[in-house]
Amino acid sequence: MYQRRKARVLLVVLIITALVLITVDFRSGGGDGPLDRLRGAVTAVARPIQDGIATLVRPLGDAVGGVTDIFSVRADNERLRVRLETLEQRTRSALDLERENSELRQLLEIRDRAELVTVGARTVALGASDFEWTITIDAGTDAGIERGMPVINGDGLVGRVVQATPNASRVLLTIDPTFFAAVRTSTTGETGTIQGRGGEPLVFAVTDPAAELEVGQELVTSAYSNGQYPEGIPIGTIADVGESTTALTRDVTVRPFVDFTRLHEVLVIIDAPIQPLPPFRDSDDLDVRVPDVEPFVDIDDLQRQVEEEAEAEREADEETDAEVEGEGSPEDDP
Amino acid sequence: MIVRTAATGLLLVTAVVIQTALFPALGLGGFRPNLLLLVVLGVALRDGALPGLRVGFAAGLLTDLLTTQAPVGLAVLVLTGIGYTVGVARPYLAPGSVTAPLLLAFVSGLLGTAGYGVLSALLGESRVTFQLLVQASLGVAVFNTLLAPVVLGLVRRLSDRFPIESSTALS
Repeated sequence: MYQRRKARVLLVVLIITALVLITVDFRSGGGDGPLDRLRGAVTAVARPIQDGIATLVRPLGDAVGGVTDIFSVRADNERLRVRLETLEQRTRSALDLERENSELRQLLEIRDRAELVTVGARTVALGASDFEWTITIDAGTDAGIERGMPVINGDGLVGRVVQATPNASRVLLTIDPTFFAAVRTSTTGETGTIQGRGGEPLVFAVTDPAAELEVGQELVTSAYSNGQYPEGIPIGTIADVGESTTALTRDVTVRPFVDFTRLHEVLVIIDAPIQPLPPFRDSDDLDVRVPDVEPFVDIDDLQRQVEEEAEAEREADEETDAEVEGEGSPEDDP
Repeated sequence: MIVRTAATGLLLVTAVVIQTALFPALGLGGFRPNLLLLVVLGVALRDGALPGLRVGFAAGLLTDLLTTQAPVGLAVLVLTGIGYTVGVARPYLAPGSVTAPLLLAFVSGLLGTAGYGVLSALLGESRVTFQLLVQASLGVAVFNTLLAPVVLGLVRRLSDRFPIESSTALS
């Protein structure tokens, strides 16, 4: 009986503690609160152990993945064959476009896009929750990684850093329901946002619901939304285009390029400089004349001054005319 | 008592490392078992409500500190609740029953995951859809049921090796 009562008291105490923790974490939102620091410490401590386990079990995981892939090999083969043909056709036109692009660049004197500065990292673990799609990577602030930095791999956008500790970072994956990124279609430039929904596919919220979208169109990141992601990182291809359900929404799903079940090596973009616009050519030679007007001039005074000057000028003209007439009269008189 | 606490702590850390580093490679359909929930279930089934509460709190805190989007305290609430409920229900279960632990593993996996999902949708930033909630809850419930014999057996063995002193024996 005593034990049961003790358990009840402890239950109440622990529930109150949990509620206090939730409140503290909620109110110190922004990633700098005491519980966020504790999270960072746990991530940093757990990283070496997770790293070791991940290294050991990776071949096993790949083998399991390989077995499950057998069932989709035929369909994948067919899909890739069609894609290869499409890409071969596209390569031929791409060569011509490349030449044209190069000439246009020379004409416009636009500098080539800056090389992205990246840091390589290995995936060591996934998040502990079933409703959160995050990974832990084995590089952190010591390598120059900061919160908010985009993460990519050879296929495209993987996610963004949501927590950085000295030796490890946590990355929110593109498929997480809380992930958003500004994107555009690579061919037609239709803009919108991409959102995860806890697995594949992603959802593309297109800005213009009446835009012409086709299955197979590629999506890349767009820098228009505060420039959080560098321009042109591949996201995926449009898998299905739904009809407009209302005037403002349209269901468009996107199959990501990245295989989120086998994320081994990733790159964190630690520097994607938005290059400042070059100054106007010969701007130093521009001779801009600024009128020499005193500030806060009273318009009435100015008008009166103008009238007085006009009056003085008129009088001066009349005097001049009179003198001219006076000088001319003797000559007229013989 | 100290040795038992250390052993339980080590079990929890091992469980969380396996869950975050090993199961992602072996997960099927995007879902994986919730080992920490199974450990809490095992302790509560073997030793009762009080140890179930303590281990539930520790496991919940560990889960919360290894997640990023949901506020710290959500998993604490869920796992503490499961530890207490299973511990209180323990005297009413047949001691040698095989089906009762399996059934409890399924139900706790289902309700624990669904409860956490609902709480994180209400209090956190997570945008959990109903479909996702059902899929994840069922996935974890099935996985946990399959793994229950192994994990519960391990917990039982650990508890036999490091028993709770008679003064703190449970309800």
